[in-house]
Amino acid sequence: MAVNLLYHQNAFRLEDELRQIEIAKKDPRQFAPLYKKYHEAIFRYIYKRVDEEEAAYDITSSVFVKALASLPRYEFRGVPFSSWLFRIAKSELYQSFRDKKAQRTVSLDSVTIVQFIDELNEDFSEEQRTLLLNSLKLLKEHQLQLIEMRFFEKRSFKEIGEIVGLTENNAKVKTFRALVKLKEIFNKTKA
Amino acid sequence: MIKILVDRAKPTSEDIKKNQNFDLILNKVSASETKKIIPWYFGVVGLASFLLAILTILL
Repeated sequence: MAVNLLYHQNAFRLEDELRQIEIAKKDPRQFAPLYKKYHEAIFRYIYKRVDEEEAAYDITSSVFVKALASLPRYEFRGVPFSSWLFRIAKSELYQSFRDKKAQRTVSLDSVTIVQFIDELNEDFSEEQRTLLLNSLKLLKEHQLQLIEMRFFEKRSFKEIGEIVGLTENNAKVKTFRALVKLKEIFNKTKA
Repeated sequence: MIKILVDRAKPTSEDIKKNQNFDLILNKVSASETKKIIPWYFGVVGLASFLLAILTILL
């Protein structure tokens, strides 16, 4: 599984980041290095979930506006700064769906589809591929979110938990349940 | 309804970088801070002016 370097930082880098956050709390202009560091990761997270590139840029921008405005209240409680940003991104994303400014989208590539069909213990075929895509549409949002982060974005359970507000263990259990549900829908559709 | 996009074009890091605009973020934050301050400020100033006017009439 690929390692997300922005998430898995060493203690020295995390400490340095916390120092940068403290400086930015006193002077918002000093937030620029953090903005530059995380802009792409936040944009890609949003882009995969909305249908229009322009909307993804707008939502990304509002994530950083919210983050900078809330920065004075940010306290390090064991959750990395990146996860705090992803939580804001998740909340801004759902707000844009409620406001109908963007459409909920799942972006997948062919390789991921083949790997995921294998995860479902099925052999790949065009029919299976169509079945999978249709089954994903029938999942509940919280289930789809977990499947997306774990299997399509290869995030660790710890990171998933921090983004959705669950413990690592709970994230693992709920992702497993989401996968079982997806298999159930998949098999029902197949029959 | 959920839309599923397969093998969608991915913007390059350079394209994403071109869309970075930290000044815009700063301006939006300071504009929202000003918005929060204005009603409070004019509320206090307005109330003081109103009380002063009443006081002037009464005296």
